[in-house]
Amino acid sequence: MAQGSIALPQAQAFRLGPKLLQLVPGVLLLAAIGYLGKFVEQAVAAYAKAHHLHVPNIEYVLWAIVFGMVVSNTVGVPAVFQPGVLTYEFWLKAGIVLLGARFLLGDVLRLGGISLTLVVLELAVAFTFMTLLGRWFGLKPKLTSLLAVGSAVCGVSAIIATKGAIDADDDDSSYAVAAILALGAIALFTFPLIGHWLHLGDRAYGMWAGLAVDNTAEATAAGAMYSDAAGKIAVLAKTTRNAMIGFVVLGYALYWSRKGEAQQVEGKAAFLWHKFPKFVLGFLLISLLATVGVFSKPQIGSLANSSRWAFLLTFAGVGLRTNLKELKLQGLRPFAVGAIGEAVIAAVTLGMVLVATRVFNL
Amino acid sequence: MSADPLKEPPPKTFRLSVDGWAVAVALVLALLVRLGLIHRVPW
Repeated sequence: MAQGSIALPQAQAFRLGPKLLQLVPGVLLLAAIGYLGKFVEQAVAAYAKAHHLHVPNIEYVLWAIVFGMVVSNTVGVPAVFQPGVLTYEFWLKAGIVLLGARFLLGDVLRLGGISLTLVVLELAVAFTFMTLLGRWFGLKPKLTSLLAVGSAVCGVSAIIATKGAIDADDDDSSYAVAAILALGAIALFTFPLIGHWLHLGDRAYGMWAGLAVDNTAEATAAGAMYSDAAGKIAVLAKTTRNAMIGFVVLGYALYWSRKGEAQQVEGKAAFLWHKFPKFVLGFLLISLLATVGVFSKPQIGSLANSSRWAFLLTFAGVGLRTNLKELKLQGLRPFAVGAIGEAVIAAVTLGMVLVATRVFNL
Repeated sequence: MSADPLKEPPPKTFRLSVDGWAVAVALVLALLVRLGLIHRVPW
């Protein structure tokens, strides 16, 4: 793989098919690491209670990610486990669809509407600022485009989608992916700390994490580390952001094709549908079914718990794919542009969320 | 038409994306829960 690559090949390569058995070892590894995280959370809480200690509750999310990172950065992920470990994206999306059961459609539309307003503002700020930063740091224009898309919309998926649409180099996309993943890993640990420091409510924090943290897995984890309720809102805000991916990629494809540096876009509606993340439709469908009373209360509880189990595997996968040594190998300038851009986007979105909290009574 | 008439065209295959699999599996699970075939999922 190119310089600045990550520990594992990207999840886009993952396909369920006849080689289903190859997935078993990696899925078992995800389950083992995730469950260990859950076990340690409960064990620490039980020990603290038994010994009358005041220990802050560290969520299983953090334990699972840390255990995954320990494996990835010490012994590494053996080849036999890699196909199954790559299924973390499948578990993430299945978990999000199932999470729809915990939202009434009215809440989705209300919070989604607020998210959408904030997402549009966030996109405008992110694109403008990242483009200027790229120019100041003398980055290649297409690398700047990829970094802007990665930080504004949806991390790795958006970068991969944009790369194809604007005919960017493999090296550029590798740099952008590595920078966005490194920044996502940093955000995982810094966002909950800042949230607690500012005493943000669950909804405000969840909205902020969903708007500002790149990659759906990292945004979900950053939300869930804060609280269950914050995780739920973070997923909704991030899903709204994901839904914009088609429009953003189309915009960049048209921009670069007008400059004669990318292919023409034939059929804009088909292009938008092709890029639209279909799991969002599944989320809305389950939410609709829950709203019209298809599921009883205990059944909604079961679906919510299934979503938690799916996320457990996702968080283990996030840890396993984070290889600090390889992230260090990436170029400094793309990382610096990404880091400065992310810090500004995080600050601006935090301001927007604080205003929205008052205006919309979040 | 294929450039080589003797050559069989590749069989059409249907492949679901990760999103497609995630939605399909989640909906099947929801159906099983709704039908009571999965009684309770603990956490």
